[in-house]
Amino acid sequence: MTKTMEYIIFTLKSALFDFSRNKGRTFLTSLGILIGVLAVVLLTAAGLGLRKYIQQQFELLGSNLVTVLPGNLDEGLSSGGPAFGRINFSEEDFQKLKRVRIIKNVVPLYSRSFTVSGGNDSKYSELYASTADIFVTFNQKAEYGKLFTNRDVEKRSKIVVIGPELGKKLFGSAKKALGQSVKIEKQSFKVIGITKSKGGGLTSQDLDNAVYMPYKTAYVFNTEKTIMAFYIQARTEAEIPEMKRQAEKIMLENFDDDEFSIVEQKDLLSTINSIFSIVNTVLVAIAAISLLVGGIGIMNIMYVTVTERIKEIGIRRALGARKFDILSQFLVESIILSLFGGLAGLLLAYIIVFFVQPLFPAYIDTFSVVLALGVSSGIGIIFGVFPAKKAADLSPIDAIRYE
Amino acid sequence: MTPIVRIEHVEKTYELDDNVKFTALNNVSLTLHKGEFSALIGPSGSGKSTLMHIIGLLDKPTTGKIFINEKDTAHLSDNEISTLRNEYVGFVFQQFNLINKLTVVENIILPTVYARKKLAYDPIKKAHEIMEQFGILEKARSYPNRISGGQQQRVAIARSLIMEPSLILADEPTGNLDTKTGNDIIQLLKKLNEKEKITVLIVTHEHDVAEKTRRKIHIVDGEIVSS
Ligand SMILES: Nc1ncnc2c1ncn2[C@@H]1O[C@H](COP(=O)(O)OP(=O)(O)OP(=O)(O)O)[C@@H](O)[C@H]1O
Ligand SMILES: [Mg+2]
Repeated sequence: MTKTMEYIIFTLKSALFDFSRNKGRTFLTSLGILIGVLAVVLLTAAGLGLRKYIQQQFELLGSNLVTVLPGNLDEGLSSGGPAFGRINFSEEDFQKLKRVRIIKNVVPLYSRSFTVSGGNDSKYSELYASTADIFVTFNQKAEYGKLFTNRDVEKRSKIVVIGPELGKKLFGSAKKALGQSVKIEKQSFKVIGITKSKGGGLTSQDLDNAVYMPYKTAYVFNTEKTIMAFYIQARTEAEIPEMKRQAEKIMLENFDDDEFSIVEQKDLLSTINSIFSIVNTVLVAIAAISLLVGGIGIMNIMYVTVTERIKEIGIRRALGARKFDILSQFLVESIILSLFGGLAGLLLAYIIVFFVQPLFPAYIDTFSVVLALGVSSGIGIIFGVFPAKKAADLSPIDAIRYE
Repeated sequence: MTPIVRIEHVEKTYELDDNVKFTALNNVSLTLHKGEFSALIGPSGSGKSTLMHIIGLLDKPTTGKIFINEKDTAHLSDNEISTLRNEYVGFVFQQFNLINKLTVVENIILPTVYARKKLAYDPIKKAHEIMEQFGILEKARSYPNRISGGQQQRVAIARSLIMEPSLILADEPTGNLDTKTGNDIIQLLKKLNEKEKITVLIVTHEHDVAEKTRRKIHIVDGEIVSS
């Protein structure tokens, strides 16, 4: 073994030994770094996940889709939320839109949450009342049975199509739900179909728990026969602007231009993205603060650690240790502590993200890992070595006498 | 007689409060020769430890010069001084100054960790030889705060010997010991002086101890009165 190797091994050994003799302090320092890393990595993962979640939600819908909503979305954003619910659309608007050539498809939507019971169980679910075209718009297929048709809409058939999760909750399995009846507000409806599972993610879970009903059947709940929104679909992307213009003309016959909005998916997406970039900035700011707080914790503990070892530094210097020897000892110790805390924090973050992922598409990106590890171990190392340097600069006898 | 350490007109003042100064050493000049076995004797507070720290290059004088082997140490870099402390001087502190988180044997070999020259012997083996000679072999894996004062004193001396220094400076090596153990320690240092030709300087305020040496240096109020 060479002299250098022996020296390195001795330094490592004494560092590890020091940790085992000071478990509390080692734990606290590592905990500071752990929390800093965990906070930064998790918060950025949440921010990124949020953005992905919203994109996923839009991807569930069909293409070339434009939404007609009540309220002024532009004004709404600047004054704290779209003014939904001020007006409602009617059957008349639906028929007018249907007559527009350029519109390939119009889907009216009335939706509300209800307690749906059946079998021996019940569940709070979202009801989507529409025409048969909603299944095209929502990209839904039947797993068991069939979807309802526009004839069912006209006949006001007392039927529903339900999501597989809801079927499972009420009747034990999606398949068993077929042909059963469910109760909504004391009214009975026959289950004629169960949709295919969308699997994974919060949005698709919602759809897997949904109840679809012909919108005219839903008049039993919707006595004013209102329509909350229309999805209108163009044949090609190129026709979207013209379709929007014509739809707007129709809507202006009954409403003022600030009473409704016609938005493309990509407008909505960019609006929502801009909201979430603010959310993201806030998250990053919080992460930065926790990194700072963690850093101050590390700083304090490191400072105390070195200060209480000034006597030891003096003794080592008296026995012939050079300043560099002292610094490298403290550097090694700080690096081990920081790495230990940082990697533990990272591991914990990965575990948390792993368990959250089925519900929420959070993910960890390399930049946040590098940033978190870099900053926290940087602080650990600087504040481990800087006081040690000050102690090494004292005369050995002053260091030994230091209290 | 060849000088090993020579100090010239050394003064050490401590800045107590804002403007109050305390002179611990006043114009001290002294030469230690190779192979000498001497005692530095004086009352408590006379400046014995202070002088010893300066001779051992642990502290710097306010003014004055220190020559090691006739070489002025004023021009040496911190690394060179560290090497001198490591190779040239073996220090036994008044308060032992062992590192409590290291075992006895780890304390003894600690100076060899910082050695820059290639050692002609295996430090662990040599540590065991010294421990055996000092009767502390069974304490090799104990921690300093779990052994007796006399045993700690021996560990401190063993540590000062591990690098085979030319000069041993022992600050009150018998101060914490009963008369019998104290005598043993002095005999031990005397044997080192006679057999290994190591220069030894013992600091003490006990005349009994000083009587056992060949040269007595008296210090009173920071001044050498006879040597
Ligand atoms: N760091 C310091 N600051 C101020 N005064 C000091 C300092 N170190 C020592 N002194 C003073 O210098 C004088 C000499 O101290 P020193 O420790 O050398 O005495 P000593 O002869 O070794 O005494 P003892 O036999 O009690 O160990 C004392 O009066 C002491 O109070
Ligand atoms: Mg003293």
